[in-house]
Amino acid sequence: MMVIFHPTILIHVLMKTVNLQFNEEKTIEHLVHHLPSQLTLKDFVHHNSLHNFQDKEFFEGIFSASKIFGIQVTFNLNEYRKLHRQGRIRTDIINQVITNKKGVSHLEAFKQKMLEHPYKHTYNPRIGKLRANWKKQYKIDLENLVQPLLFRIIGSYLDQGIAIWHFPFEEKGLINALKILEQKSLTSFFKTKKAKRLLLSDDLSIEKLLKILVGNESYYENYLFDQQFSHKGWSGLVSAIEGTPETLFYRKKVHLKDFILLELLLEYDALEKTLGNHWEPLATDYPIEAEDYFAPIEFGEMEEVLQLWQEAFEWDYYDEVLAGVAKLAESKRHIQNVETSFQAIFCVDDRECSLRRHLEYIDPMCETLGAPGFYGAAIYFQPYKAQFYEKNCPVALTPKHLIKEIEISKKRDHEVIHSKNSHTFFKGFLYSMSLGLWAGFRLFRDLFNPKMQPDIADAFSHMDVKGKLLIENQDPNHIENGLQVGYTIEEMVDIVSSLLKGIGLVDKYAPIVYVVAHGSSSANNPHHGAHDCGACSGRPGAINARVFAYMANHLKVRAILAKKGLIIPEHTQFLPAMHDTSSDEVGYYDQEILSSENARHHQLHIDTFENALGLNAKERARRFASIDISKDIKHIRNEIKKRSVSYFEPRPELGHGTNALCHVGSREKIKGLFLDRRAFLQSYDYRSDPNGDVLLQVLSPLPNVCGGINLEYYFSRMDNEKMGAGTKLPHNVMGLIGVANSSDGDLRPGLPLQMIENHDPVRLLMMVEHTPEIVLKTIKSSQAMYDWFDKKWLHLVAISPEDGKLYYFCDGKFERYNPLLKITTTSDILGVIETAGEMKSNHILDATKENISVQIYSDKI
Amino acid sequence: MNSLLPILLLVPLVSLLVGFSFSNKNEKAIYRTSIISILVNFVTIISLTSYWITHDFEYIIFKGPTLYHSSEIDFSLNLFIDGYSLAYIFVATLLTGAIIVFSKNYIHREKGYKRFFNNLKFFYLGLMLVLLADNLEILFVGWEVLGVTSFFLIGFYRERYLPVKNALKVVSLYRVADIALLLGIWITHHYFGHSISFSNFEGLQNTESHVLNDAFYHFMIPSVFLIAAMVKSAQFPFSSWLPRAMEGPTTSSAIFYGSLSVHIGVFLLIRTAPFWENNLWFHFLIGGIGLITCVLATLTSRVQSSIKTQIAYSSIAQIGFMFIEVALGLYWFAIIHFTCNALFRSYQLLVSPSVLSYRIHEQLFHFIPPAAQKTEGLWNRIKLSIYVLSIKEFNLDIFMFRYLWSPLKTIGNSFKFVKSRTLIYSMAPLFILGLYTVYNQDILSLFMLKHLPEIFAGLGLMLILKSFVERDSSMVSWILIVVNQLFLSLAFGFNEEFDFNQIHIFLSGILVAGILGIWILNRLKIRGEDISLNQFHGHSYEYPRLAFLFIICCLAIAGFPITPTFIGEDLMLGHIHENQFPLLILVVLNLILDGLVIFRIYSRLFLGEHKKGYHEFAYRSS
Repeated sequence: MMVIFHPTILIHVLMKTVNLQFNEEKTIEHLVHHLPSQLTLKDFVHHNSLHNFQDKEFFEGIFSASKIFGIQVTFNLNEYRKLHRQGRIRTDIINQVITNKKGVSHLEAFKQKMLEHPYKHTYNPRIGKLRANWKKQYKIDLENLVQPLLFRIIGSYLDQGIAIWHFPFEEKGLINALKILEQKSLTSFFKTKKAKRLLLSDDLSIEKLLKILVGNESYYENYLFDQQFSHKGWSGLVSAIEGTPETLFYRKKVHLKDFILLELLLEYDALEKTLGNHWEPLATDYPIEAEDYFAPIEFGEMEEVLQLWQEAFEWDYYDEVLAGVAKLAESKRHIQNVETSFQAIFCVDDRECSLRRHLEYIDPMCETLGAPGFYGAAIYFQPYKAQFYEKNCPVALTPKHLIKEIEISKKRDHEVIHSKNSHTFFKGFLYSMSLGLWAGFRLFRDLFNPKMQPDIADAFSHMDVKGKLLIENQDPNHIENGLQVGYTIEEMVDIVSSLLKGIGLVDKYAPIVYVVAHGSSSANNPHHGAHDCGACSGRPGAINARVFAYMANHLKVRAILAKKGLIIPEHTQFLPAMHDTSSDEVGYYDQEILSSENARHHQLHIDTFENALGLNAKERARRFASIDISKDIKHIRNEIKKRSVSYFEPRPELGHGTNALCHVGSREKIKGLFLDRRAFLQSYDYRSDPNGDVLLQVLSPLPNVCGGINLEYYFSRMDNEKMGAGTKLPHNVMGLIGVANSSDGDLRPGLPLQMIENHDPVRLLMMVEHTPEIVLKTIKSSQAMYDWFDKKWLHLVAISPEDGKLYYFCDGKFERYNPLLKITTTSDILGVIETAGEMKSNHILDATKENISVQIYSDKI
Repeated sequence: MNSLLPILLLVPLVSLLVGFSFSNKNEKAIYRTSIISILVNFVTIISLTSYWITHDFEYIIFKGPTLYHSSEIDFSLNLFIDGYSLAYIFVATLLTGAIIVFSKNYIHREKGYKRFFNNLKFFYLGLMLVLLADNLEILFVGWEVLGVTSFFLIGFYRERYLPVKNALKVVSLYRVADIALLLGIWITHHYFGHSISFSNFEGLQNTESHVLNDAFYHFMIPSVFLIAAMVKSAQFPFSSWLPRAMEGPTTSSAIFYGSLSVHIGVFLLIRTAPFWENNLWFHFLIGGIGLITCVLATLTSRVQSSIKTQIAYSSIAQIGFMFIEVALGLYWFAIIHFTCNALFRSYQLLVSPSVLSYRIHEQLFHFIPPAAQKTEGLWNRIKLSIYVLSIKEFNLDIFMFRYLWSPLKTIGNSFKFVKSRTLIYSMAPLFILGLYTVYNQDILSLFMLKHLPEIFAGLGLMLILKSFVERDSSMVSWILIVVNQLFLSLAFGFNEEFDFNQIHIFLSGILVAGILGIWILNRLKIRGEDISLNQFHGHSYEYPRLAFLFIICCLAIAGFPITPTFIGEDLMLGHIHENQFPLLILVVLNLILDGLVIFRIYSRLFLGEHKKGYHEFAYRSS
């Protein structure tokens, strides 16, 4: 009798009874929850690809996803074992992981299981089982018969500007538009009259169609899951657009419900056409009871072993990092007596980690800081004469302000190759006859002397470099589409003070504080948004940097700030800039505001930046096979720049590949620690925040932004085919909203192979410089944030400034962590970079070898 | 100067063979061998062009070694160049070179880096054969190479479902074009009594007497070439394969389906112009097909929401235009049009991923919502109807399936009552009996002798139909094919004046490949692998070498010109008399089907999703 009250079984029973009755709304809600939520590619924002399992503990969540959807969520045993054999997973780490998880007494038993025990892999996802019976029972391949036309219709319907002839009546909604088309046209999308009649019937509903196709109500939900997950790309996009219609400039009215209706109708049509009267609803005599796809799953020993392996894979790296951090934490903090030459605030982005290191290397007197790259300015941006707004802030925020560009210095060029006219008949003839030879010439020019073109995504063209912005609100009633145009002085004060306090920049101002945003230029790259600033909804962040600098320079703002105790010296000026992470160039904005003395300083700092960019380019180039890094820096920079404008280069940059760490604390404390561009760096000064109030504000965007990036890379790497977009090379742009592989293929959300191939899929290790008590108190103050750490989607370590020791967060409390490894030191970090190996293939066994181990470099610190 | 011609073939051939020896990770070596061969060829072409210009634009002819010779057939490696082929070769070499440079970085670290470059070189070699061929036999060899490399490049991502499915779809259509060309060889042999030479050929004037009247030949000969050209150039009603062929890396789509491969039909028409130039009806026919294609492809292109498909259809429309130009006799204009269109569409395809950011940016500033579609009146209703039809590509995609493969499937299924295994066993004694009688033909009556070829060919066709609908065992399907080939050779054996050497040439290829194929299938079976035909198994993931061996066997059995079987096939077809129509139809159907079945066996076993569950693989729909 005890068994009945076992909670999982109870849930099981409950869910089954619920399932028996079909509730359309609930089922659709359930579907939307599980479908990919990626928006159109122009709004590429990183997010946890398995957000639908985030209510579970990490491993339980991912293994459930694996069993339900048939995705790979870890490497396979063989790969882990090989990683162990080649030294990537150390034995002492394996011992430590087993001891921590299973207890010392089980050490040998589990070690044997991990290293030797044979396990049989099975592939038997729950989703898809029911609908597979069409083929089994009737030898009919419904997917082949339905999907090509279905994708064509929805693709044409949502198309933003590839087709010359648009889908008519799109303002009426998908099903209504189809109804008008079917009524008025002399032809039909359907092969049978019956299907057409069904479409036009008054009581058309999902339930009615399911009754015809499936028959038995208890299977309806499963059937819809099978159906929609056989093409989760399109279904996901439809539901994402339904939720966020502004992701399309050319708005389309679309509902997942309509899309399902259309698919059911096409299925009915195909069955009628192929089988005539010789078919019955699928579940008429279905022998197996309706299964609850999302019922708890019993995991076997293999999952246990895989979990141990993955943890060992992660801890092997974390241990190395923590050894370095611990060593530096013990050392005395540098106290700067000399005056700072300049300060530069960068985005927390892991790609800025190396540029900051090189700046500090070249000019030891400078100070670099990190903050999320929208710099507190959550805005919509309207470029000059643009018809739409672009969101430039983290995706979770809803801006209330609009920043308008009111003057520009140069016009945008056109690219005739992409003209729609080239696809019409007579003009197409004229185009090919007149441009054909020129295209041939261009092809060779692009190959041997690539240059910036109008159709290359240029980070610096997002906003005119010399354009004028309307930043200060003139009149509180100046509102456009519900958005206030510009910021009031009071709002500016809030933004400036909270950002500066957050990063601990409250005194010792240098004459120039650079606010360095970042963006990325790349050619022939539909995923270019994934390379831009994640804190700016996948767009270049220059606009935000300019807005912030304007605020911080504003005299009225400074006056109020001074009253509140935040004194920015009069001679200090904030200068906006942007780093192109792909071409490794920095552009400066509004330089004319500089005082003559600062302008002089600025000229010197430009050289510092240029030199640092040279070293940065060299460090990045070590991972690019096409560049020989033994050559001089000028050559390397030139090559790097070429990559960013080469149509033939699917890897203009490697994005966030290899990201693994996030440090929240003072830069001084980890200066001299070589992290190989793998760390998000957020500045924070615990000394000015004994209670952790500022910490909460600093921490709160990080799990979503950094964790989202990290987990998207994790899953895209573990299963690049089902969770990622696969290789980019065959990608075909669909409707300007996404990419598919084939003319008849499903959309491919997720990251392409070329972005994740050098990534070691480990969860993000977040290191916060404060006492464990304060960190615990801080994360507990927000349930959402607490769950990220408690459920292990992110790791958390507190670097206690009191004793210089490390504390790892586990099972609701912080425990001491003593690194096993002794950290290596080097006196020549550039030499280490130059001699690092290059991966032979993009298989993890090769790829992981390319990473340089953590080391402390002693020179210049 | 003419000795430079074979260099154009030898250089890519050597480069291809050398290319096989590198490992996939040795990208530099793979790239260098490829680009060097193109550079050498390019220099050769420049020299040839200057020679051609300075020598009054005369043909450059190279008489090559004779591969096979008999009274009627002279299969020699003769090459020649005229202005048209020179222009085509020039564009082809230039573009191939550009694509190789483009792909050097583009394909970097792809699993099939080596495979890609080898296919590209093989393709280029095939193209050179077609362009340089002085006779139909050589042209046919090149033509087949184009088909096979297309299969490999469309199915480049062999672990996904759609590329493999589409590769099969395209290759089965190509098979129709191949057989059309083979028929062309057969019929011209009969008409002229010898192999024709393009370089010294005056058209359909002929003095020999024929069993059938001349009108038949004047209609048949151009028809088969036209069909071949229509298929390869994706003309109506064969248009829908082109967008579906864009499955490989963008670079291969650009060069194959954007330019070089898809324009080859235009070249074929120009090359075979002497056959139809004097026939006004054919001018109308070619022009008409071009015109229909122009209209339909333009309409389809207007509604496409995927960029590569749109480019594909607008390219098809331009090729339709070239057909019209050819029909009007404007050959040079067509060649210039080809050059411009090929370069333009290739470039458009190569930069097609840029369209997303570019047009979105355009839209940000210049978006104009389209005017609402009206619904009243006949004209609006017609417009809507055309819209629906264009979205459905005018049903062209299901056309082949419905009118060719489906009926054959139905016929094949009508033999359901015979079990495949029973069939194989019962055929054995029949074959031995047949073999005995072939060598002792005098024991049979004249009537029997006359009809035995048809009977044996009919039996062969039955076997192959059976193999076509076989769903369970690939072994059974394979054996059925091999046995079918044996019966086919029996059928020829009864044709009078038969040279037994030819049949031996034919069989030598078939038997070796057949037995090797059985060994491979058996090996898979012993390893416990599923070798049924009801789904894709993707065994190339675990057995790449076996996959390579097996595809060689398949090509051999299918009569691909790498084994003697091909010469045999060509020769034997020559032995079908002009009046043996039933036999001809049986054999033609047989050849079309066997190609299909063979490629299907290979695809089902070695390509597609590998569902073992210990590694990632794509969804079926992606």
